[in-house]
Amino acid sequence: MRKNQRYLALLLIAALFSFTAAAQTITVTGNVKNSGSKEGVPAVSVTVKNSSAGTFTNEKGDFKLVTSQKLPVTLVISSIGFATKEVDVASLSSPVQVDFVPASSLGAEVVISASRVPQRILESPVSIERVSAANIRNAPAVSYYDVLANLKGVDVVTSSLTFKTPSTRGFNASGNTRLNQIVDGMDNQAPGLNFSVGGVVGLTELDVDNIELLPGASSALYGPGGMNGTILINSKNPFKYQGLSFEVKEGIMNTDSRFRSVSPYHNWTVRWAQKISDKLAFKIGMELVAAKDWLGYDQRNYSRTGTNGQIIPGDRATDPNYDGINVYGDETTADIRSNVFPGLAGQAPFLKGFLDTLNGGKPINVSRTGYKESDVVNPNTLNYKLSGALHYKLSSKTEAILAGHWGTGNTVYTGSERYSLKDLKIGQYKIELNNPNWMLRAYTTQEDAGESYNATVTTRLVNEAWKPSTGSTGWFSQYAQAYVGARLNGATDFAAQTQARAFADVGRPAAGSDQFKTLFDQVRSVPISKGGGLFLDKTNLYMIEGQANLSPYTKSFADIIIGGNYKRYVLNSEGTLFADSTGKIGINEFGAYAQATKSLFNDVVKLSVSGRYDKNQNFKGKFTPRVTMVIKVAENNNLRFSYQSAYRFPSTQQQWINLNIGSNTQLIGGNKSFIDYYNLKSNPTYELSNTGGPPAQTAYTYPDSKAESVTTYELGYKGLLTKNLLVDAYAYYGEYSDFLYRTLVLQPNAGTTIINVDSALAKGAIASNLGRIFSVPANTTSKVKTYGFGASIDYRLPLGFSIGGNLSSDNLKDDGGFRSSFSTPKYRGNFTLANTGFGTSRRAGFNITYRWQNSFYYDGDFGNGQVPAVHTLDAQFSYKFPSAKTAVKIGANNLLNQYYINGIGNSMVGGLYYVAFAYNVF
Amino acid sequence: MNIFNKIKNSGAVVFAFVMLLVSCNKLYTDPTPLAVPANPSGNNLAKTVAATASDSLYYKLILKSGILTATPATITDSTLRFTMFVPDNNAMKVFINAISGGLVPLAAPDAAFAGFISSTSPNYIPAATALAIVSYNIIPQAITTASFPTSFPNIIYPSIFNPAPPLSSLLRLDLYPSKRSTASYVNNVPLSSSDALASNGVIHHVPALLTPPSTYLWDRINADPDMTYFKAAILRADSGSVTPGPLQSALLNIGANLTVFIPTDSALRAAITGQITLALIAQGVPPATAAPTAAALASTPAVFSNPALYSSLTPAIVSGLVAYHILGTRAFTVNFPTTAATVYTLIGGPPYPGLSIQATFTGPFVTAATVKGAANTTASNLLLDPTPSTGKSDQNYLNGAIHKIDQALRPQ
Repeated sequence: MRKNQRYLALLLIAALFSFTAAAQTITVTGNVKNSGSKEGVPAVSVTVKNSSAGTFTNEKGDFKLVTSQKLPVTLVISSIGFATKEVDVASLSSPVQVDFVPASSLGAEVVISASRVPQRILESPVSIERVSAANIRNAPAVSYYDVLANLKGVDVVTSSLTFKTPSTRGFNASGNTRLNQIVDGMDNQAPGLNFSVGGVVGLTELDVDNIELLPGASSALYGPGGMNGTILINSKNPFKYQGLSFEVKEGIMNTDSRFRSVSPYHNWTVRWAQKISDKLAFKIGMELVAAKDWLGYDQRNYSRTGTNGQIIPGDRATDPNYDGINVYGDETTADIRSNVFPGLAGQAPFLKGFLDTLNGGKPINVSRTGYKESDVVNPNTLNYKLSGALHYKLSSKTEAILAGHWGTGNTVYTGSERYSLKDLKIGQYKIELNNPNWMLRAYTTQEDAGESYNATVTTRLVNEAWKPSTGSTGWFSQYAQAYVGARLNGATDFAAQTQARAFADVGRPAAGSDQFKTLFDQVRSVPISKGGGLFLDKTNLYMIEGQANLSPYTKSFADIIIGGNYKRYVLNSEGTLFADSTGKIGINEFGAYAQATKSLFNDVVKLSVSGRYDKNQNFKGKFTPRVTMVIKVAENNNLRFSYQSAYRFPSTQQQWINLNIGSNTQLIGGNKSFIDYYNLKSNPTYELSNTGGPPAQTAYTYPDSKAESVTTYELGYKGLLTKNLLVDAYAYYGEYSDFLYRTLVLQPNAGTTIINVDSALAKGAIASNLGRIFSVPANTTSKVKTYGFGASIDYRLPLGFSIGGNLSSDNLKDDGGFRSSFSTPKYRGNFTLANTGFGTSRRAGFNITYRWQNSFYYDGDFGNGQVPAVHTLDAQFSYKFPSAKTAVKIGANNLLNQYYINGIGNSMVGGLYYVAFAYNVF
Repeated sequence: MNIFNKIKNSGAVVFAFVMLLVSCNKLYTDPTPLAVPANPSGNNLAKTVAATASDSLYYKLILKSGILTATPATITDSTLRFTMFVPDNNAMKVFINAISGGLVPLAAPDAAFAGFISSTSPNYIPAATALAIVSYNIIPQAITTASFPTSFPNIIYPSIFNPAPPLSSLLRLDLYPSKRSTASYVNNVPLSSSDALASNGVIHHVPALLTPPSTYLWDRINADPDMTYFKAAILRADSGSVTPGPLQSALLNIGANLTVFIPTDSALRAAITGQITLALIAQGVPPATAAPTAAALASTPAVFSNPALYSSLTPAIVSGLVAYHILGTRAFTVNFPTTAATVYTLIGGPPYPGLSIQATFTGPFVTAATVKGAANTTASNLLLDPTPSTGKSDQNYLNGAIHKIDQALRPQ
């Protein structure tokens, strides 16, 4: 008892000393102004030299710093884009006034992602691109995702206005699963749908602090998935960026009414952050985007075999089996000779001989009449984002963060089909503890597909709901009878087909009619598992990860960081996407990594060695090493070499998807349970050729699925040739092993052998009419090899002008003899001319960016074909009103309204012209 | 200012360059239509026939048929496609001479034939008959001889003639174009000239008018005094079934398409006599007695309904015998191969025995044709006489063709 009293007394004394210490602090106040424009500069770091005390200026440039140091003190004022300044404070009688001089920030940026510790971008051991909030503010882009397209080596696949998928180093696709997107430390990939949803659910534009892009393999530090790169998007800390800010963008699209009527574009963003005390701050943000989406309008004819195919001549009027790329419902096809004529000959035997003569005895393939994308996909794209965070400083160095990002809306995605994501809702929530020397984070991604539906399948089912395809009174039967009748009356084949379609389509619901809408709504609201088109996906992800920087203890030997994570997917689609009709499916993964960095030869060489081990419950563990070296060839000039590896486990869909996509085609996962479920071995399947050749004559064996891995070697240089000229260049070579792809196998119809199938295909039959097609994931046995290079310059001219440009190239050296879907232009580049402040008080600014990529062959599950070269001009002009803390910007994405696509079947992207009014945007 | 000028100038160059490039954006959204065969210019079929002097009599028949003014339009419609088999004036004269019972002699002037055709007398050529004939000679596809089938037996092409619309609106009588060596045929008639193109089809000339059949195979078998044994065999084969039995029904079915090799009465009588003789000898009757006994038993077609022979001429046995004389396709003698080839009968395909058929041609005409059963020691000859209705070979009916033969065919 006495002992306890002594402890209590000691505590009280300690507390008293604490209060005494608190009583001895001083408070320094002041204001930081831009020396040129005289406007307050927000988010400027103000620290006390040789102390851990520090703060940031608020939106007016004011700061208030509490320190236990005694006067005089020296304040260090720093911010990117300004020359760091030291100010001596000897008296507190008046606020400190700081004239902050803008300076070139070339090469001064600090990046974290390259090594998971802060370092100057010039010293990054691997290629890295950084986009700051200022870059976003000055970019001629309507959204920050569009800024990514201007980075070196980046391709963006645009499914729709708000669904854009950045890719690096090849294998472009909508929803690229080889590129990680990490938003505020959280993997932004929808765990069930398998695409990153940064454009829909990520940060609001005003809350983006910076974007870092690591092109190339990056699994060693960021875990599975970063085969071709990792994008890290970080939000603004409410302690640093405070106050209310908002931006209203109003624009117009579809100005030439080529695909849609002229339509407005609305983008409203608001952010409010407040430092309640030195320990507690919060932020809340919202963003609303509403517009008429770009339209998928590729009406070209497509010869489809499961998820493979090619563009062919023909249109609805001239090809009875027409299947337009962005026309839906016409994927339902049948050979009326083999499917209907036998029935007709049974009823009218005298016709049999005649029927045999038609079309020279070859198959008469006929497709049902489809509807255009504008008829079946909700044109109203809507995106509503809500995010918020509570930051609490547990100590001067340790900060706790409770944050959430939630988004909902409508958008369009191109996968194996076109999907209308309607009322999609995804939330990401995290709790995080941050310290310069360690980090602990737990988060979850909660996915809800809302009322999303497969536009292709839904439209096919609408056709079926109106008039079934099969049966004696079905559409094909009616078509065939009318066709035969017309031929008996002397009609040419062409005329008879036309008459037959007109006859079979009598009473067909007209697009946009009440009858069509009723049918369509009926079908799309029925879950896929019950014969409709609706997804019920509510797959979730749970993740916990931590990292420790051991450098304080190991500095004498090397800087060392270690980390690890545990991840659990819970698949829950009620049988509409995955094979989970009987219950949820769990998938567990864990991983751990370590990195040691050592400076050698007086910091001329910096060597870093990393390694990571990950294990997925369904696959063997993978170890991925990384070795990097940075050689300082001169001050601010560095050469970099890296050997990196990366891998990805088959995605949740590649493991468990079980989705009928029509055309008698079933997407299935690689899990072995599918083999029994579909009798794939007892009723053998045969691999179809993806080059038009004959199918394999021996049964497909279903080898075990494995993780895909890549090893890359990279050489790069980044440096300031003069203080105003930054040059960055790289070249890489990559080798993929166990490359994951999908292949098509056919399970012949009962009573049919693969020899019959082969023979029928040679005569022009459609594979899906000869058996059931399965699209199955597979690993290649041969290696896929890629190489490429990129180079950029950034030159700062006097009077705030700057020019920059980059050129990059990605090449497939060896596709391993199979369909690797490289889908990437060989060359791309862009050129920018900009000024961030000219005219009176440097209030005006502009940016003109020209982008180009050459033509390339796009190989996607939805469509294959040559994508024409793309030339795009983006521009913006802005003017600031410092006293009102406002700015006006007028800008255009695709100024000359030159429509383009960057993936077959995707939306036609045209010009978007906008005016923005921003308040307190920093 | 200097730097501004430099920027301005270089900016202008860059801008011009960019504008040049941007203007090159291509976007492919529209499908490429497939080439649709254009309607050839020139006269349509009707006008082509009308303009051919040597076809003037047939054109009179066309006019008489009313097909040129019928709805929907056929050979006058340039958007449709037809094949016409057109008899020249000589062929028409033979036809008119025949149906007029010699009233219009072959040597009569053309005007006399034209007058006969155009006459409204119902005793001459009624319009409905003219329409049936003209329609029967039109195939609703444009078929040049290049696409005529060259292998046995032929391809069935329906004409536009529906003999019984109430039965089925899709019902059509068929024609059988074929090509052997350098000659082309429709049914058993060699073309005299071919492939005359009109804007909406093709014309082939025939040296004899094809008239549509109007009766069934059974009608001929039932009425022909030299097919009584075969008829009796059919009835015996069908005995025990509801009348008409399956064989008779097939021979009466407009949907069937058969070739029937019918032994003459004497041929079938001889075959049955032989069979009975063998049966009697097998039962211990001395050959010297067996032969006359069998001849007496088989002396009339009633042999098939003789209760004494029920055990040896069972319906199954007789049915097999009859079916072995019938092919499931319609073959005219011109469709027979020049070297013997096996074809299968209604008994079934392999392993059942087939028939070996062969024809000998002189020019475009068949001068000899044989068919041999698997158990026959010699081939039976087709009795060549293609006279319509009363002839012995290439007798064309609604549901097949008949060839008379001089030996019964024996499968085993």
